[in-house]
Order: sequence, then structure tokens, then C-alpha cells
Amino acid sequence: MGKKTVFYEKHKLLGAKIVEFGGWDMPVQYSSIIAEHKAVRNSAGLFDVSHMGQVFVSGNDALKFLQKIVPQDIFKLALHKAIYCQLTMKNGALVDDLIIYRLDEKKYLIIVNASNIDKDYGWFIKNKNELDVSIENNSDEYAMIALQGPNAYKILINAGIQVNDQPEFFTIKELSLKNIPVYLSRTGYTGEDGFELIVKNEYALKLWDILFEAGEEYNLLPIGLGARDSLRLEAALMLYGNDLNENTTPVEAGLKWSIPSDKAEDYNGKKVIKEQIQNGTDKTLIGFEMTDRAIPRHEYEIYYKGEPAGVVTSGGYAPTLGKNIGMGYVDTKYNITLDSEIQIMVRNKLYKAKVVKRPFVHKHYKK
Amino acid sequence: MMVPDGILCSKSHEYLLENQDGNYNIGLTDYAVEQLGDIVFIELPEIGTIFTKGEVFATVESVKAASEIYMPVSGKVVAVNDKLAESPEILNDSPYEDGWLIKVEAENALADSGDLLEYDDYKDEIE
Repeated sequence: MGKKTVFYEKHKLLGAKIVEFGGWDMPVQYSSIIAEHKAVRNSAGLFDVSHMGQVFVSGNDALKFLQKIVPQDIFKLALHKAIYCQLTMKNGALVDDLIIYRLDEKKYLIIVNASNIDKDYGWFIKNKNELDVSIENNSDEYAMIALQGPNAYKILINAGIQVNDQPEFFTIKELSLKNIPVYLSRTGYTGEDGFELIVKNEYALKLWDILFEAGEEYNLLPIGLGARDSLRLEAALMLYGNDLNENTTPVEAGLKWSIPSDKAEDYNGKKVIKEQIQNGTDKTLIGFEMTDRAIPRHEYEIYYKGEPAGVVTSGGYAPTLGKNIGMGYVDTKYNITLDSEIQIMVRNKLYKAKVVKRPFVHKHYKK
Repeated sequence: MMVPDGILCSKSHEYLLENQDGNYNIGLTDYAVEQLGDIVFIELPEIGTIFTKGEVFATVESVKAASEIYMPVSGKVVAVNDKLAESPEILNDSPYEDGWLIKVEAENALADSGDLLEYDDYKDEIE
């Protein structure tokens, strides 16, 4: 048995199938993964993402601390803005990937992956040294709900938050929704417009019900981890533990776009990352779609011209496309590029696939 | 869900159903397809292949994962359900009728099926 979020009993009442994920008992699906997936693409869905961790960082040296632990330039993070970051080690590889929000002049909120909460917190403490910074892991006090899909903003209006009061893309607001204090941010993990709501446990069930009721006219569905995974895969968003791990750098993972070239401060792994940006890497992330009929899955082998050339890190059926897609790492010596034909080893047989652009599905963010 | 009379089920959730011509349909129980969720791909064997009891003869993939399907008895494949290639969801909708996987000629079915359970006993077993 894993840990349970505050919504566990609600999931059971809603008919969810429960699976263990990252040490948590979470709903994998309520009705059908495909139906849930399509609901988010076409209207809206509600996710319990309370397994994710919340770490608050504050104090005179908060900025200095963050500048040291991620390659991104937190100095440029404006008040109430969010940024996608990686937590890097000295060798450039990843402890985790994160979203950092700037809540106040000297106060930040870090959202960390469920299975990495303890590891990340330990890493933060280890990197704190003499800095004047307070690091609080408040993960157990907060629940988190994601409201995602093209109708998400309309559901918030029904719940009492007018468009003008809604945060813009990658922005967070502290507000009160029917007397419930929430952090409301316009972020997510689906490739759709949408929000994440961070709320103290004691208000969480009430907030869920308010959103559910507000979503009724848009056929808002509860969404399990199954569709969360297929949605993020179509959007080519990384999953730590699959696509990212302690043997992978952000440059290898195709996250160069997120790393500023002009950040003045030193950070963990800067030397390696700079060197990789300049000279390239031995492996690189690709996205592909199957041209033969087969489903690629995590850890299947990638072949190029009959030789083993890499490994699939995420793969599956893409409900929006009706295709089988995947991501994985290949050795750069093969010069595998867009439209290259590769093969995937599925149950001891090779099936053809083609390298395609990521994301697989257009993102529909409201920027 | 209408469960046909006379089916025998394995603990790994395959069913065996005798046809009027003396051959057998092999498929997945309603419980199995319910547990798998949306089925998106089914790989079936070639006609003529001979399998022994307990061998993997097919793979059924849901959105989440690939599952191997085992022969409940030994036999020779005499037909495969081609419709499932284009429309794997048939298996979710109709596991006992339109969603059968293969038909086999199984001379030793009687002896082989000793460990298979009648549907009611199977239901008791899994609950």
C-alpha cells in the first residue's frame, strides 16, 4: 500500500482503478483512458496531482540558492511568473525536473516530482550551506488539482473567477475561491490550456466539488494517471524516471531551449552543460511514430540500419492521433534526424518507425 | 454481459468454448478485458501454428501495457479473428462473441482442461 492523497476515498466513489505510482496509491483511470484523454483535448478534465511535492524557499539568499541549483536564470523570473527548470548535479545529470514559481520578492515555490520529494529536499539541504535561506517541504500539507483543457478557463468563470482575474500562461496568483485560499497557476502537463490549484488539505475536497459542479455543463471528467501519461506523451513533455534520470543531462534530453547561454552565476553542472551545448553529446532524444503496426514501450530497443542504436524511454498509443508514438535516446554517431527510418524491437521482432517532430500534437496554450 | 454456457476459464483469464463443429474458441474473459481497459492493439498468431498448453499465443495491448495471452489447452490454430486488427475495441465490447481471438483444433482438450474453471467458480476465485 502506498501513501494516499486527501482525494483517495473520492476516487474510489468515482469508480477509479487504483495503482501504485511513485509510492502513492493513485487513480489510473475512472472510465476509460481514451475517453478521459479525449475529454481533456476537447473540453476539460480534473486531475488529482496531490502526490506532487511543494517546497517553499524563502529568505535573503533564496535567489542565490536557486541560481546555484538550476541552469535557468531565476534572476530574470518576474514576480508571480513560473519557469520550467532542471535540478542538476555537478556532472550535469538530473536529480529531477521542476517548476519554480516566484510568489514574492524573496519567496519561491518549487513543485517537485512525487517519487523525488525526499531526494530533492535532501539535495536542497545539501546545497544550502551557509546561505540565509529557509527551505520548507510542505508537501504533506498541500493538495494539488489540475484543471486542464480548452474549457478549463470557462469552468473557472463558473466557479467564480472571472477571466481578468485568471493568471496568464506560466503565472501564479494567490486568491480566494469561495473563501478557500488557493494558489492558482496557469500551468499543466497536458499540452492544453489549463490550471493547477494548490490548496491546503483541509480545503481540498470542497475545492474539488466546487470545480466539479462548475464543470458540469462542460462534461468535466475526472482524469487518471493513464490519460495524464498519454496526454503528456503527445505533448512530448518529459517524465522523470522514464525520459529523464540521473544519467541524463538536459542537453541530451533536448531541453537546451530552456537553458540560457548568458547566465552569469555558476550552477551545478554548468561546465558540463556548457561544453555539451558547444560540442554536442553522445546521445540525444528523438521522437518517432510507428509506420509498422506495433506499440513502442518504455525500455524497448531502438535499431538503425539493423544495429542497436538506442532505447525507448516513453511510448504508447496516442489517442488524439490514432497512432503509436514514442520518445527515446539514440547514439548521435548514427546521425539520426527528422524523417530517418528507425526500427523498434518489439517481442523479438523489428518494426519500422519514422523520426518526427516533437511535440506530436500541437500545444494549445493561451499565451 | 451475456456469458455463454459451458465456457471454461483459466486463472490467467483466457476462456475456452467448444463450437458445434468440435473446434474451440479461445478468448479473454469479461473480467480480463475490464481490467485491461481500452484495448488498442492485438497481435494474433498465424493459422496453422501449433501451441502447447501454457504457451503464449497472442499479445493484447491496452493503452497502459502489453499483456501476453496463454493457451488454455494445446491445439492447432484453424482461424484467427482478423477483425481485431482494425478494430481491437471489439474485444472490450464483446469478449465472448465478436471478440474471440482464435479458433483451435484441440484433440486433447478434455484432458488439458482439467485445471480450468467453470465461469461461476472462476468468478469466485478472482473476487
